[in-house]
Amino acid sequence: MSAMDRRSFFKIVATTGAAAAAGGCGPSAEKLIPYVVPPDNIVPGIPAYFATVCRECPSGCGVLAKNRDGRVVKLEGNPEHPTNTGTLCVRAHAGLQGLYHPDRFRGPLSGGKPVSWDEAEKQLADKLGALAQGRQGGRIAVVSGLETGSLGRLMDEWVRLVGARPRIAYEPLGYEPLRAASRVAFGRDAIPDYAIGDSTYLVSFGADFLETWLNSVGYTGDFSRMHAFFQGKQGTFVAVEPRLSLTAANADEWLRNAPGTEGLLALAMLKVILDEGLQAAGADANTLRAAIRSADIDAAATASGVPAESIKRIARELAKAKGGLVVGGGIATAGSTATDALVAVNLLNAAIGAVGPRVRFGPASPFSRVSPYSDMTALTQAMAGGQIEVLVLVDVNPVYAMPPKSGFAEALGKVPLVVALAGRPSETTARAHLVLPILHSLESWGDYMAEDGVLGLMQPTMGPVQIEGKAVQARATGDVLLSAGRKALGLEEGKGPLRWASFQDFLRDEWQKVARDYGSNAPFADFWDAALRRGGVWRTPTTPAVSIRPEAGRIQPGAPKLEGDGSHVLVVYPSSRFYDGRGGDRPWLQEIPDGMTQVAWDSWAEIPTETAQKMGLRRGDLVKLTSPHGSIEVPAYPTDLIHPGAVAVAMGLGHKYPGGFASQGIHATGTVSQPNYLNGGANPIELLSGAPDPASGGLPHLSVKVTLAATGGRRPLAVPQATFNQDDREIAQWVGLGPARELELRGKAPEHASHPTMYPPVKYPEYRWGMSVDVDRCTGCQACILACQTENNVPTVGKAQAAYGRIQHWLRVERWQEGTAAKPVNMFLPMFCQHCEVAPCEPVCPVYAAYHTREGLNGQVYNRCVGTRYCGNNCPYHVRKFNWFNYTWAAPLDQQLNPDVTVRQLGVMEKCTMCVQRTVAAKDAAREVGRMVKDGDMQTACQQTCPTQAITFGNLKDGGALVSKLSASPRGYHVLEELGTTPAVTYLKKVVRAEPAGGHGKGGH
Amino acid sequence: MSAPPAHSATAPAQVTWADVNRDVIRTVGMPGDRYFAWMCLVALTLACGVAAWAWQIYVGIGAAGKRTPQMWAMYITTFVFWIGIGHAGTLISAVLYLFRARWRTSIYRGAEAMTVFAVMTAGLFPLIHAGRMWFAYWLMPYPNQRYLWPNFKSPLVWDVFAISTYLTISVVFFIVGLVPDIAALRDNSTGIKRKIYAVLSLGWEGSDQQWRHYRRGYGLLAALATPLVLSVHSVVSFDFAMALVPGWHSTLFAPFFVDGAIFSGFAMVLVLILPMRYFFNWYPYITDRHLDAMAKLTLVTSLVLTYFYVCEVFVAWYSGDHFERASVFAKATKEYAWAYWGMYFCNCLVPLVLLSRRARVNSVVLYVVSIFVLIGMWLERFNIIVPGLGHDFYPYTWGTYYPTITDSTIIVGSFAWFFILFLGFIRVMPSLSIVEVKEVLPHPLKHGAHGAHH
Repeated sequence: MSAMDRRSFFKIVATTGAAAAAGGCGPSAEKLIPYVVPPDNIVPGIPAYFATVCRECPSGCGVLAKNRDGRVVKLEGNPEHPTNTGTLCVRAHAGLQGLYHPDRFRGPLSGGKPVSWDEAEKQLADKLGALAQGRQGGRIAVVSGLETGSLGRLMDEWVRLVGARPRIAYEPLGYEPLRAASRVAFGRDAIPDYAIGDSTYLVSFGADFLETWLNSVGYTGDFSRMHAFFQGKQGTFVAVEPRLSLTAANADEWLRNAPGTEGLLALAMLKVILDEGLQAAGADANTLRAAIRSADIDAAATASGVPAESIKRIARELAKAKGGLVVGGGIATAGSTATDALVAVNLLNAAIGAVGPRVRFGPASPFSRVSPYSDMTALTQAMAGGQIEVLVLVDVNPVYAMPPKSGFAEALGKVPLVVALAGRPSETTARAHLVLPILHSLESWGDYMAEDGVLGLMQPTMGPVQIEGKAVQARATGDVLLSAGRKALGLEEGKGPLRWASFQDFLRDEWQKVARDYGSNAPFADFWDAALRRGGVWRTPTTPAVSIRPEAGRIQPGAPKLEGDGSHVLVVYPSSRFYDGRGGDRPWLQEIPDGMTQVAWDSWAEIPTETAQKMGLRRGDLVKLTSPHGSIEVPAYPTDLIHPGAVAVAMGLGHKYPGGFASQGIHATGTVSQPNYLNGGANPIELLSGAPDPASGGLPHLSVKVTLAATGGRRPLAVPQATFNQDDREIAQWVGLGPARELELRGKAPEHASHPTMYPPVKYPEYRWGMSVDVDRCTGCQACILACQTENNVPTVGKAQAAYGRIQHWLRVERWQEGTAAKPVNMFLPMFCQHCEVAPCEPVCPVYAAYHTREGLNGQVYNRCVGTRYCGNNCPYHVRKFNWFNYTWAAPLDQQLNPDVTVRQLGVMEKCTMCVQRTVAAKDAAREVGRMVKDGDMQTACQQTCPTQAITFGNLKDGGALVSKLSASPRGYHVLEELGTTPAVTYLKKVVRAEPAGGHGKGGH
Repeated sequence: MSAPPAHSATAPAQVTWADVNRDVIRTVGMPGDRYFAWMCLVALTLACGVAAWAWQIYVGIGAAGKRTPQMWAMYITTFVFWIGIGHAGTLISAVLYLFRARWRTSIYRGAEAMTVFAVMTAGLFPLIHAGRMWFAYWLMPYPNQRYLWPNFKSPLVWDVFAISTYLTISVVFFIVGLVPDIAALRDNSTGIKRKIYAVLSLGWEGSDQQWRHYRRGYGLLAALATPLVLSVHSVVSFDFAMALVPGWHSTLFAPFFVDGAIFSGFAMVLVLILPMRYFFNWYPYITDRHLDAMAKLTLVTSLVLTYFYVCEVFVAWYSGDHFERASVFAKATKEYAWAYWGMYFCNCLVPLVLLSRRARVNSVVLYVVSIFVLIGMWLERFNIIVPGLGHDFYPYTWGTYYPTITDSTIIVGSFAWFFILFLGFIRVMPSLSIVEVKEVLPHPLKHGAHGAHH
């Protein structure tokens, strides 16, 4: 062996030294193993998009999952999908936190203890097999959520084979009265499609179509088509609701009715129309007249508290409008007379000629296929009677969603084998004997019929999530059923009724039929690939003609039956964030302030101001609501925006199940980890009786009166918006419809206040990025907040920090209220960094961490930031967010982080960058083809998701860009313009029909 | 402290040069138990402050009660407070020196020490305040590979220059003033102490030539320090005046801050000098004449400050600016109204007591008034920062700041830091200027020639 020469000596010293250094500090590096054969569709650093369907609610919107290096980092709307046309709601974005939820089951559990899949399947199959062979299949029950595609068919086939009771497609928000009303009025067992976008005069009797009602994302887009000021025109929207919901806040007129009087009002309006002969030609006058026999306008006015003049005026306007449409049937208004009230709504639609053009039974809503709630109560009785031996619960949580008085939870104890197929823990899985973890919808194959003719195709957008370096041992629901079914029935793979090796094979087989059905001439492989790329197949369905039936004339939509002798009617409404409660375990959703009350985290009870004053309740004081069926304690939220005889509590919180992340406090030393107490709040469902409404079979949400009692305790609410009164500061501005038309005609950009300066004008050599935000279009749905948060790695900070002005959201949606409490005008204003040309934040930064880029952005160099926070003080909009702590993401939520965006560390300032990472990518792409970035090349995250297209981003130097045109709109203004910051964001004034009394939002220039 | 003055108001004439040497030098040396008890208390408080700061560095600024919109709060309040305190020292030692106000001689050493220590305390706060204090040096213009310089448009960078200049000049001025006295200490001590003082006295022999150079140098330094009295706090005021926040963006701020600084500085001098007079029995040197002069200055600055307060409110009203009006209205009526009215009470009403000469020479009254003034001046800065930010342009983010244990402990700790420096100083250095007090005494050899030019 030769002696060591100088060169090798240095080599060895260098390597060992480096190894020692690397080993000596910090945690040891994880092993990085490159692909031996890289997958075709994964290019490091380049995102791949997979089309699939959002399954956060039964609407079935198309999504594109952005996969970066094997992890889905963001969901975006599928622009081709007819249901949502590229936009998403806040719940859809939060689907990612369901995917990466730290509480996801790692593997099957039997009696709470981990078991292998074989063992778990054996337990199920043995029991199933014994029952099936003993011809006792009727002792097996299957409850799933709404599955309108192949999985539903597979489950039904499976149910048939084992001889089980018919499958229940259980949705807590089932809209049974809508279906029942269609049966009564039109003889069709379906929920029609409401062409809100085609209407010009819309009256809603409690339908919260901008929040949760049926296909809320699609309807939000439709609503902006109908209602947003465009070419001098604007539709009219009248909301009849006991509380001012987000939907009603977007109305031109809010009629605050006593809870449950919607039917009376609808009939009264019908009476006005018929009495004055305003009905459409061809309307079935006999049935309509029969219906209004007992109608009395003055009695309706007295009962509802809505003035008779308003009823008459609106009825006349509705009938005379060319495109009138009436909708109803929100969950919050579903009482015992809901079906009759909705029949009245149907009659009203028939009277104004809306049935057919605007109320269409093709395409019908997917909710038409939901099993009524009464099926669940029947099942509960069977369970309690010991008639059920195996209960298979597929991704449903009835223990939470059904009122305790329904007895479901106790009846569950009588079932010898409760099998829960679920991804994450819930009240139901906590009581299941066998928990079989299923893959998240983003990890699965599947399909979903969003409406007749719109069939979305789902594909795995990533492999199963890895927790602590190990993929979760979850399987697709279909795979579990196929395998367990075969084992139970002694069938073999490859032949017989359950022959498919996997659900994927079954799906492909089913899609062979779809291909034929949709008249595809291409080879199936091509059809399949195209459907995968596109996210499904769609065609325009035929709309069958319907007419009202004489039975509809026999309705009695009086006041609903209310149990209890409490002082206030309880209004239980679905949360626009948590839906029926399935979103409650997502920190993102918890921290997004509610659109109306701006409460983040926790539940609250909306209590009329006068009641609160009488009881001495302030915001945050705990109040106990007691109905004959139970009681809950919630912090009070006194408000003028509710009927004086009602209190309202949103659904979705108050979960009670053991979940490490959801129920534990996490405050690691030195860091504030992802927030805790996801299982906080209260569940108003606990106050309901649980007995189904005989007319529709649905759960009557409006069915109890409650007593209120102050407990003396306090739990302050986290409300980031200090006041809804803008104190004459003209932050959100409005203009009357007449003046807006005039402005549109004159077509001149408003003169912005001039601020003389000594400095030369700022020059932008290539781009000047800017935005326009149309306050008239914004409905306050909050989707942009979460799109931004997902895209930009914005942490959630927890309730205490959120309550103390430390919410990190780069974008907030402010609600500003003008007018009186009875006639409020609400404006929703998305506020984020204004990218001022003369930015107050920039000169005060001592180290140039805040600086002006050559493209007009207010740059923020995180690495350079020392954290003096001077910029945060000097920003008049307070859109700069400081990293007060080292915010972390509990694993595996951190896998969602966008690799294109820095995760900011403790002590630095951050804010909206106008998605600079997207701008950079767009510039790169444009440079490759030798041109500038032009309109349509890229969108910011907030813009992309906005269902109403209220946000427009682009290059202000490009005169042809939409943003340039909108920024020059005569409705344009800058927030706090008089400060001379010359923001790059132009807001467009809201166009209001009735000018608010004592309002000051109208710009003075 | 209520010991009656043992000597008449013109006492210095009755003491001799030897008395001065004895009375001052006996204050330096081994202290008693009471002193140690005080030191222990102060050191313990400081330790708590240091621990709180360490916790804050570890956890993040979130440990302090800051939030949107009050991204600045008690740290900057206390920073401005301490910077302001320093100003009286420079005013007494430099400006009054140039104006030949002879009564300054017996208080200037203490005031100067106070200046240096106050600036040292204030200088901590930008560090305590910064989100990433470990990068605070980026505010200095130093050559670096990245060719990155601080942003000279930022008032915070001006602050860096103003404060570092101020600290440098004050320290030099302070040390130069000490040299002859250290030489006196050297001559009176033995052993290791003598050696240390010998080094520190920089070879002072008291020769005619040395005195001539010393006098000229001291005068020059005084001239150099004088503009700083006006400029430093003006620059500090620009932190606010250059910003956009309603209630901050005002041309009034520079003189307003300078006056407030001198006002609070005099109060602090009184708070320090009165106990020293009592404990060291320095009644012959710090006489009623001194107290009277100090009290008069306090009164004058208080009246000027009141004028500024009135101006501020008047301008907010007269400008018609909605934001300014709302800001003042919120300060006076909303959650921080106690601080607003407390400020008026402490700074405008309480000092009016000093209109009476009896109050001006009563050390107890003076002491109480000074404490009120210090509280009032801290509240003044608090009012500018916390309620000012809490009710600014944007109603969505209006909010109330609540202090936490961490930031309160750090604030209290800063006082401990100041006092530990000051208490230490008075035991190792002459806190009364031997040289200058002798200057105003009758010359032992040439009677009637005192105060002549040297």
